[in-house]
Order: sequence, then structure tokens, then C-alpha cells
Amino acid sequence: MDHRPQAWGRPRDDVYGPYDASYLHNNQPKTATQSPIVTGTSVIAIKFKDGVVMAADNLASYGSLARFTDVKRLRPFLSTSVVGFGGDVSDMQFLDRHLNELAIDEAYEAEGCSAGGLGSSAQEPDASPGASKGQLNAANLHKYLTKLMYRRRNSFDPLWNQILVAGFDSASAPFLASVDLRGTAFTSPSLATGYGAMLAQPIMRKYAATEEDAAKLTRDDAVRVVRECMKVLFYRDARSLDRFSLAVVTRDGVDISEDEVLEQQSWAFAERIRGYGTQTV
Amino acid sequence: MAAMFSQNPLMNGPNYSVNDAPRIGAPEGAREHRFDPYTDNGGSTLAIAGADFAIMAGDTRLTSGYSINSRFHPKLFKIGGTTADQKDATIVLSVVGFAADGEALKERLDAICKMYRYRHGKPMSVKACAQRLSTILYGKRFFPYYAYAILAGLDEEGKGAVYSYDPVGSYEREQCRAGGAAASLIMPFLDNQVNFKNQYIPNSGEGHALVERERRPLTRREVEILVKDAFDGAVERHIEVGDGLQMMIITKSGIEEVLLPLKKD
Amino acid sequence: MTSIGTGYDLANSIFSPDGRNFQVEYAVKAVENGGTSIGIRCKEGVVLAVEKIITSKLLKPNANKRIATVDRHLGIVYSGMIPDGRHFVDRARDEARAWRDTFKTPIATADLASRMGGYMQAYTLYQSVRPFGITAIIGGFDPSTDLPVDGEVGRGPSCGAGGKVPGKTFGGPGLYMIEPSGLYWGYYGAATGKGRQAAKAELEKLDLAGPGGESLTLEQAVKEAARIIYVAHDDNKDKDFELEMTWISGPDGPTKGLHQEVPRALREEAERLAKKALESDDEDEDGKMEE
Repeated sequence: MDHRPQAWGRPRDDVYGPYDASYLHNNQPKTATQSPIVTGTSVIAIKFKDGVVMAADNLASYGSLARFTDVKRLRPFLSTSVVGFGGDVSDMQFLDRHLNELAIDEAYEAEGCSAGGLGSSAQEPDASPGASKGQLNAANLHKYLTKLMYRRRNSFDPLWNQILVAGFDSASAPFLASVDLRGTAFTSPSLATGYGAMLAQPIMRKYAATEEDAAKLTRDDAVRVVRECMKVLFYRDARSLDRFSLAVVTRDGVDISEDEVLEQQSWAFAERIRGYGTQTV
Repeated sequence: MAAMFSQNPLMNGPNYSVNDAPRIGAPEGAREHRFDPYTDNGGSTLAIAGADFAIMAGDTRLTSGYSINSRFHPKLFKIGGTTADQKDATIVLSVVGFAADGEALKERLDAICKMYRYRHGKPMSVKACAQRLSTILYGKRFFPYYAYAILAGLDEEGKGAVYSYDPVGSYEREQCRAGGAAASLIMPFLDNQVNFKNQYIPNSGEGHALVERERRPLTRREVEILVKDAFDGAVERHIEVGDGLQMMIITKSGIEEVLLPLKKD
Repeated sequence: MTSIGTGYDLANSIFSPDGRNFQVEYAVKAVENGGTSIGIRCKEGVVLAVEKIITSKLLKPNANKRIATVDRHLGIVYSGMIPDGRHFVDRARDEARAWRDTFKTPIATADLASRMGGYMQAYTLYQSVRPFGITAIIGGFDPSTDLPVDGEVGRGPSCGAGGKVPGKTFGGPGLYMIEPSGLYWGYYGAATGKGRQAAKAELEKLDLAGPGGESLTLEQAVKEAARIIYVAHDDNKDKDFELEMTWISGPDGPTKGLHQEVPRALREEAERLAKKALESDDEDEDGKMEE
């Protein structure tokens, strides 16, 4: 009988054998994400004269399985910006929560209750809601996400996403930029992730090749182009869905509709496809 | 799963499927996925030192495999100015290779130059900045910045200075240097046109007796044309180069920036 | 003061023989010197107000806010030692964030009150610390509909197990007051600080607990809050003051479930009415005196 206190209440060694603590010792190196698991496909966005339009379908795939069909991949930030996520959905959720915390903390700073807040605190409460009270704009948010993603890649623990950020910059001009899992950041009048870069980007560039072209597009034009692109993506991207979310960011705020459906599909072209698939002739 | 996000068709196998999920203690034949922290964003840079000026140039295309991510993504950065628009900067850094590393490298060097100016009350000399950049790069010797950097400015005597680097900090001062995707296309052209390599005075002799053409510093105008020609040539033969040409001309009166169109195909 | 000289007031966490913690009682004294703070809970939401004594002409008007937001839907106002209050708010924000980290949902008013009550109480237990010199009023509006979990991607089942019950609501307005001892209760109307006696008397007249409370609109509550702060302010002794007011309504109300400052137009209207009400009161009293 073992009377030592550390043996109290434990299975007896002479009956059960000594405790096997090997599972507590992890001799393997720390591992991080090596591949995405549940994924979202393309996100596309185009600038127009008063803002940015962004779209992404509502599908989260588990490999080739269409696993979740009601997934919102466009997230508003402070009702002035939109963030669109492609890639791993759990990393997207992590980022969404993180940005939510960031937004709350930023609001504390703007409020001016903190000791250092004398400058901004004199803001009158009924100043126009669109005006930024020193809030983070889309350009700031994009820079922050870039640093975050680059930092994670440096620690070999990447957030497996490709992200588009839409909104306005400090000069109140429409802003659209991208950042990926390696922290590579860039901007362009139209942007697309994943298959969208191959299928949608050429279409969008027909309408907005340059910033000047984009500044001539109306909101309706931009929405029409984006809808057209979503249709092409649904035709050719096997990991896509005909239900999608559409966000329009203007100086008045963010307008996200999460129940868009692709209208007027025509699959006639599928008949003419030859060279792969099951047909023999 | 690099293939899923790579837009390079060469790298693309069949796309991600359940079978590809990593398995622990996998049997033989199992593939292990590893995150590759690097990628090549293409593009090319070029710098030439003149007698009292230096010219830095780079295209503005940002690629990922066969895709063009952006047609305007600058590779040239003014370094060490006191303001956000860097209007009083005296040094230019160009980075080409992996864009995220390039950006990080630029921000670090810029911050260091700003600290130097704050502490010493004068801008950093190109020579000092060049050495510091080497130290930064070597500091990440075992997880390098995948970026080919070129630094340009005017030296203490007012002469154009160009320093070129490899990703881990080896550097030397040169008359001219091309970097990035089309470096191997541009560099021989520069050897011939800037350093007059393989240019001999006609009928000056046979074999070793041939007299080399006398080297002389090029004028600013000549260099600008040379740069444009070099890039036009590179655009023609290299798919990762194109869209726009950004040039920065460093003289004692400041840094002048020129943007020229390149072929967008 | 019976405590003086007995030694039982020299340290925290020591009871006197008759069962009192004198350090806590001294902290209450500190609160009683602070500008009046009140909270009113009505059906549509909560109003918080504070009488901000202007200690110097060099202070910027409308700056140096005294009512703080915690998360998005909670407000805290306090009377007493302002630095203690600031720390209290910092802690409340940490608690709200920790709650979100754990449960992926905003903290309920009652839960924040509970945690902050526990925090205050801990400062009565140890020799090494002193109690908070504040009494805090926490107001909030807990989501009255099913809120999405942070990071949630879909809508979930529309009916059946895990589905939503149509028409079912919960949550609602909450108002709590925490004292230096850590004691906290939920209130219909709460007042603390220098003018608490007068303020409490006025709050009781509103009949917030009874049918009066049911019928009081949020806008009326704002006006009442302004009036009560004006009533509670002692003209003779105190310097000028500034009125700071915030409110929290449900998702269908003016603040859409957020804790926000009362818009300037409404606040000024409320102040105008408050001053008018005071003047007519004075006239009434003067009239009686003459009789």
C-alpha cells in the first residue's frame, strides 16, 4: 500500500501498472495550419465613382463537398468598410471576432473617456454619422490586416485567407485592396481572389482598367458587372454557389444583401463543351 | 495546399479534395502539406549612377503566377524623409522579389533612417544607409527577406551612388545594376551601354591589341533613354514585366519622379 | 465618529467589534462628496446622467467625458473619486472583452454588474488595498432578440431544434448600482453622489416600479433625468456644472441597442425644460412664503 499523498486516490500501481504519462510529453514540434479545411471560394470587387461593390457566394466547401450553403463571407467593419474573405472559414471567423474587438476598442478611444482623450472628446454627439470621428477607415484597416497576416506568416502560422478590403481612404476616395496569407498586399480598380482572378478579373478590367475608368462607373453599372461576374464564376467554378452576398460601400455607409440569387442562368453552353468529362464523342 | 491558392497553372495539380487532407502518422505515399512562406511577385528594377545624379527605375506590375495582381504597385521607395510624402528624402530603395518581404524591408529601413535623422539632426548618408541595409538583410540570414534590393543616392562628393544587394546582405557599390525577373535580360545590355563592354575602336588592332572604347560618364538624358529602352526590351521578352515604368532621378536638388507607360500585355 | 482612536479604521479587512469595516464607510464618504449621478430605467431603455462640476474655467466645455461605454451596449457612470472610476471602467471593459472571448456574445448587464460587484468587494478584503472611492451605476440594454454569435457565418435552422421561436424575446433594460462595499442591487432608478437624497426623492415620485414606469418613454426619462440633476444641484454651495447624459434603447429605439450620448438638441431641450421647472418651483415657494 502506498501511503504517499501523491498516490492518494489514484489507481494502484500493483493492480493497474504505473501511470503512463507519455501522452503528456509531446516530443513533436509545434504544428500550425498546413492547409485550409473548410474553404470559401472567390471574392470579387470593383470600384465605381461613389464607392466599391463587392460580392462573394454563400458557400463553404469541405474539399469538394458543398458543406455549408448559408455562409456570409462579406463582413462590415464600423459601418464604413467591408471585408471579404476567401480561403479558410475558421480563420475568417477568428479574424471577424478580432476585428469586432478592434472596433469596440477603437470606439473607446474615440469616446475620449480615457485620460488622453481630451482632443477628440469635444466631438458633439450629433455630428453627422458618416463623418469619421478619427475612426479607422478602410485604408487603415487594410494596413492593419496586412501587418497581421505578415506577422502570422513570419511565425509559420498563417491565417489561410485571401482578403479584400473595400471602403474609403483618408482622402475620402474609394479604396479597394487585397491581402493574402503571406501578407502580400496590393490595390487595383478591380480585384478578385481565387478563381475570380482568372475568370472575373478580365471581365471587370473591361469596365475599369484604370482608376479613371472606375471613376466613370455608376453604382448600377458596377453592380451589373459584379452580378455578371458571379454568374460566370458559377458556370465555371465547381466550388461555387448561385446564392451570394453583395455589398455596396458608399459614403452613406455599407449596404450588404446576403440573399442574392443568380438570375437568368443559361446552361446552353454546357452542351458544346467537349474534351473532358463523361461524354465520349 | 499551395496549389489551391497559386494561380500558377504549372503548380496546379487537381484542386484540394478530402483525400488531400493531411493525415497524422500517415502511411507511405501520403503527402505532407507545408506552408510555403515565399512567393515571387515578378517585376524588374534597374539603377544607374551618373556623374552628379543617380537614376532608379522599376516596372509597376505585380504578378502571381500567370496572373497580374496589380498594374500599379510601386517597387521604388523614397527613404528617410521627415514627412509621410517623403518630399525631403535623399535616398531611394528599390525592392523586387517577394512583395510582402520587400514592403517589410522598406518600412524597417525607412524607420531606421528616420530615427537616425531624429537622433543626429542630419539625413543618413547613402554609404551609412547602404551598410545598415546589409546588416538588416543579414539579420534575417536564416529566414531571409526574399527581396533583391538596390539603394541609390548621392555620395559625400555628390556623385551618383548605386548599391546592390543579394537577399542575405552581400552588397557592393556599382555603376549600374539590374534586379528581378528580367535582370538577366537587362544586365548584359547595361554592360554594353553603360560600361561599354565589348565596344572597341574600329580598326585599332587585332585580338588583344584591340583598343577598348574610352569610358565616359553618361548624361542624364542618355540614361533616361537607356532605361526606357532596357525596359521596353524586357517587357517584350518577359511576361512578368510591364504595365508602367516608374523612374526616380536623384540630383542635388532632390528626387524627381517620372511615370511612363509600358506595354500591358 | 466612534471609530476614531479605536484602531479598527486603520486597515482594510479588519472588522470592528460591532461588525463594521470602517475603511468601506470612509469610502462611502468620498462618494458623498462627488457630483450627483443618476440612472433611470424605463421600458424602452435606460438613461444615465451626471452633474459634472466645473472645477476650472480652463477646462474645455463638453470635453472630459464622465460616462463611459463598455462594449457597445453598456454605460457606466460613477460618483466619487474619478481616477478610481476610470480604473473601474477599464476593468469593466476587460471583463466585457473576456466575456466575448469566452462566450462569443456580448455580456449581459446583470453579468457585468455581478463581476464588477465581485471586483469591488475584493478591494475590501486585503490589507494591501483600499476600497474604491466610488459608487457606480451600470446601465445596459440586453439584446431583446436572438443575437448572432460573434463570427457566426450562417443563420442556423429556421425552425425545429436549434431554430428560433417566432415572437420570443428576452433581455431588456437593466440598471444596477454598485457601492464601495461591493454591494449591488438592480434598480428602477438609482442615484448617488452629493445630491442623492433629493434625486432619490424625485425618482420615487416618478413611480418607475409601478404603472408610471411602464408609461414613461425614453425621451421623457431623458427630460426627467435632466430635471433631477438640476434639482439635486445645490446652487449655493457648488460651482457651475455641466450636464452629461447618455442613453441606451432597444434595437427598435433611437440608439438601436447601443450606448450613446444623448443628441445635443434633445439634451438642450431637456435642460431648458429643467430650468423652467426649477423657476416655477421657486415661484411657488416664494408665493407660499408671502402668504
